[in-house]
Amino acid sequence: MALVSLINIVKSFGEGGKVLRVLDGITLDIGEEFIAILGPSGCGKSTLLRIIAGVEKADSGEIKTVGNLVYGFVFQSPTLLPWLTVVDNVALPLIAKGVDKKVAREKALKYLSLVGLNGFEDFYPQELSGGMRQRVNIARALVVEPTILLMDEPFSQLDPLTAEALRAEILDIWLSGVTTVKSIVMVTHNVEEAVLMADRIVILTPRPAKITKIIEVKLPRPRDRRSKSFQDVVDQVYEYVS
Amino acid sequence: MLDVVLLVLASLASFGRMLAAYILSLLVAISLGILMARRRTAEAILMPILDVLQSIPILGFFPIAIVIFVSFLPKSIGLELAAIFLITTSLLWNMIFGVYTSVKSLDPNMFHMASVYRLKTFSRIAYIYVPAARAAIAANSIISWAGGWFFLTSAEVISAGSEEYKLLGIGSLIMDLYSKGDMLEFYIATAVLFAIIIASYLLIFNPATNLVIQHHLLPAWHRAFYYIYRFVSIVWEHIMHLGIKFESKGMAKHNMVIAVPLLTLPLLYINVVANLQKSPLFILEFMTNFLISLARVSLVVVVSFMITIVMAYLSLVKGLGPIIAIVGEILASIPAILWWPILSPLAVKASWLVSFIVFLQGSLWYEFFNVMLFGVPKIKMEVLELAKVYSIRGFNYFRYILIPSLLPSIASGALSAWGGAWNASIVAEYFESGSTTIDLGGVGSMLSKYTYGGRYDIVLYTVILWALMIVLLNKSVWSQIFKRVEKSFVVE
Ligand SMILES: Nc1ncnc2c1ncn2[C@@H]1O[C@H](COP(=O)(O)OP(=O)(O)OP(=O)(O)O)[C@@H](O)[C@H]1O
Ligand SMILES: [Mg+2]
Repeated sequence: MALVSLINIVKSFGEGGKVLRVLDGITLDIGEEFIAILGPSGCGKSTLLRIIAGVEKADSGEIKTVGNLVYGFVFQSPTLLPWLTVVDNVALPLIAKGVDKKVAREKALKYLSLVGLNGFEDFYPQELSGGMRQRVNIARALVVEPTILLMDEPFSQLDPLTAEALRAEILDIWLSGVTTVKSIVMVTHNVEEAVLMADRIVILTPRPAKITKIIEVKLPRPRDRRSKSFQDVVDQVYEYVS
Repeated sequence: MLDVVLLVLASLASFGRMLAAYILSLLVAISLGILMARRRTAEAILMPILDVLQSIPILGFFPIAIVIFVSFLPKSIGLELAAIFLITTSLLWNMIFGVYTSVKSLDPNMFHMASVYRLKTFSRIAYIYVPAARAAIAANSIISWAGGWFFLTSAEVISAGSEEYKLLGIGSLIMDLYSKGDMLEFYIATAVLFAIIIASYLLIFNPATNLVIQHHLLPAWHRAFYYIYRFVSIVWEHIMHLGIKFESKGMAKHNMVIAVPLLTLPLLYINVVANLQKSPLFILEFMTNFLISLARVSLVVVVSFMITIVMAYLSLVKGLGPIIAIVGEILASIPAILWWPILSPLAVKASWLVSFIVFLQGSLWYEFFNVMLFGVPKIKMEVLELAKVYSIRGFNYFRYILIPSLLPSIASGALSAWGGAWNASIVAEYFESGSTTIDLGGVGSMLSKYTYGGRYDIVLYTVILWALMIVLLNKSVWSQIFKRVEKSFVVE
């Protein structure tokens, strides 16, 4: 059953003379699954995620949700506050909700250790490597105990080795069910990454974005990038990526 | 002999007044700066108003403010509040712009982050906006604090029409001693004033600035500052904590509701513009005086620029930064009116020189601290090394290395210096104590004279025409200068 249903979402930017249509009628059901959204640069993927998260308003269309959904958001760049320590960066969403600081920090520590950052809680973001900062970004998304985890190109700014390790960790966290996350929506440029991780791949056209094709990935997990069946899916996806 | 008790009380009173005005400025600057950076409409409305306000001596309104405050409140409280209000107007503007620029230049992703995690107003202020603006707040506080002292005396002694209001304070005490002719006591009291000014910099503002810009740029006593810092952080954290708790319970609306008393000012305009048309003679008088002041102000801005460049050179190349900074802080803080008695041998014979010095004090330091605190720390070492490697010296060093590297801060400093010079005109063009009256003409003098004469209607007209001229000049001259700077001199 769908947790979130997007119905004919339209979004444009700009006012007066120059209007830039970004999303052109997106209809999509998000169930308890891992969805990858694949689309060319600047087509409106981040905008779509923000609309799902409810921080940007669509011009028209409808979003139906089931019950009280909580969203976690992994940003394209880590977007950490340089004047807060790692643990306070992670605890911030809770503190802002009025949770007691001590409780918020304890919870933050729990999620920091889940993403493998034990012992780094008192560091400042500038003192961490890019991969570690991205982990902090992920821990912050998890600390609000989200039902839906939205990820905006979470691995695109990392070196290939770090990215691959972090992909495996995200899949682990997702499959092991230790968190509250029921669905993940991940934006990406990277076809292989989408095939490796997602249950369904939603392929968008260049701006204004429409859905050209939704491909189900039925491969069993853990998936093997070198297998023939994996390559077949990759080839199938490439057919729709212009 | 000088009454020691009186001296101590007067010092405390002045310091308290300054502190109250500073805290008020800080709170207003944070609220308005954030509001303008985050809300288009607020930006569109407030920006031009602030531009004008920073270039008109609001101190000229002192008598009017007194009338307003005293009519609502008991006289002693009303006078005190009027003084604090007016000192605030000489602290406030650059602090607002400091907060505004810092918040405005935040990474847009921070705002996405804040809205995704539902950070409301207090959380944003506590965790994003104020930390982002720390450096700008600290550096601008240095300038503002001096600006406050510069106008302090003028806010403590005011003769309005037949009445003279005097508040207990070190500024009014010093002026009193001077007009009574007690020179020794005058110098002692002046020394005490200097001591207070120096102490406030060494203990509070310099260490705070060093801390947030993470450069030991200014002389400071860090050990003592630690306690002040702890105290202020604890108070601030508690206030923010309460705010966050309050808004998380859904009791506060998401939108900031901030009273903007300044918005009532445009109403005055409409009221008066009609009357103005009746008096071409007055307009002629105004224009003549305005042009006189404009010439002085322009000269002062140019001289400020040249002195600043020389001092930037001395601190960058000769390492004289800390000394120049503390001397600057003291000179900038000397109350404007004091320059006349201090330089009394010159006051009558070479009044233009004293006037020029007062102008310069009200103007130069805006330029100087802008360049020293925002420009110098950001200079690229590579550029300086390049100059060394190719032994670029003399005029070429200034022309091709130093000035271009500092240009953005020079431009914004010059704009503040321009505002400061206009403000200083009321104390630089007219001085009155006992039997001495010095009147050098110009709009500042015009404003002072009509204020002392109790002609508030003319004061109002003067200020309105003044504001119109400032708008005109800002729109034509300054916006052009800034366009040039942005285009040609961005050193990356
Ligand atoms: N707030 C905004 N105001 C105006 N235009 C915007 C705004 N946000 C995004 N855009 C424009 O909308 C288009 C889509 O932006 P979006 O960030 O959603 O694309 P994207 O697919 O995430 O791109 P990328 O692959 O580079 O991350 C871009 O052309 C962008 O310039
Ligand atoms: Mg994007």
